[in-house]
Amino acid sequence: MRRATCTTSEQQLLAYWLGEIDGAQESRMDEHLLACAACSERLRALVDFGTAIRGELLAGDFGFVLPPAFVRRIKAAGLRVREYNLEPGGSVSCTIAPDDELVAAHLRAPLHGVRRLDFVLQDPRAGTLRVTDVAFDPAADGVTMVPSVPYLRTLRYEQQRVRLVVVDGVEERVIGDYTFNHYPS
Amino acid sequence: MTSDADDDAALARRIIGCAPGRDAGAEAELCRRLGPRIRLYGLKHLRSEAAAADLMQDVLVMVLQKLREGGVREPEHVASFVLGAARQMVIDGRRSSLRRERILAAFPVDLVPADGEAPEPIDTKRIGRCLSALPERERAVLVMTFYDDRPADAVAAELGLSAGNVRVIRHRGLDRLRGCMETAGETT
Repeated sequence: MRRATCTTSEQQLLAYWLGEIDGAQESRMDEHLLACAACSERLRALVDFGTAIRGELLAGDFGFVLPPAFVRRIKAAGLRVREYNLEPGGSVSCTIAPDDELVAAHLRAPLHGVRRLDFVLQDPRAGTLRVTDVAFDPAADGVTMVPSVPYLRTLRYEQQRVRLVVVDGVEERVIGDYTFNHYPS
Repeated sequence: MTSDADDDAALARRIIGCAPGRDAGAEAELCRRLGPRIRLYGLKHLRSEAAAADLMQDVLVMVLQKLREGGVREPEHVASFVLGAARQMVIDGRRSSLRRERILAAFPVDLVPADGEAPEPIDTKRIGRCLSALPERERAVLVMTFYDDRPADAVAAELGLSAGNVRVIRHRGLDRLRGCMETAGETT
């Protein structure tokens, strides 16, 4: 006998997991998941994926640019975050100590009305790296750069420069340049 | 066509039909089938792996007891019965360690799925590389979502986007991430 196939989508499973559905829908999904091994396994795989993503974030293995509020949340949860604040045109002497778990650089910039923001990093080893369309909160006073912790730990006395570029169609304008003078801890 | 419900019901009937004797094979298989689903329910509603594991054991013990006693009137709806039991236990939250130990000691069924059935752990190095390769916006949405299981409207509020937009980016990011993980797996 053929096995019945379930048509519940991944989006529906994720909506259930993240609390995006109402109480009645949640109850129905609770019941469905207890009766459907396939959906239960698919959701478990999604949950494990999410756990792995969280783990990578907390391990600091990769860099990202995020709204300041999110980084504040991570810090409030107890992570040891070394923070720097820079105004446009500013520079800072920075390092990473052995017990720092993340480093966050808050780059102040005027974001009101900005639709697309690119992040340009000039690194002594990697050269120039342009990250297009970073995620940001247009109501915030800037973005927060969280670099890769393992990479930071390899830096000696070296300088990195970051530029924030607003892209509007074919036009671009620089809204901030920031300089990081690294020293080993 | 068969369904999981049919298979679960067949096992439930075997357990009921064998009473007062025990169909150890049917009980073990029912635990193997239902255990992970109960655990996932526990993880959703208790947000703790340890609490979910405890819930799974407690519910399975209770369900097996009821099946043996003939207390499950509709074996074809055993999953609904399990849901009711799990829901009540989560609400009650009454699970003193001494009581649990007494109950589990009296129940010599192995309620924990065998190691061989556990899913393969995710390769953290590979997922790190794949996350790094994602477009920045997709990476940000996935990280902001899964750091603390945030719904789309909460992530949207932090990014000045609509919840619908966040869900689209999230879905695209997950698809791309999964594709990268599968490709990386094939080439290693």
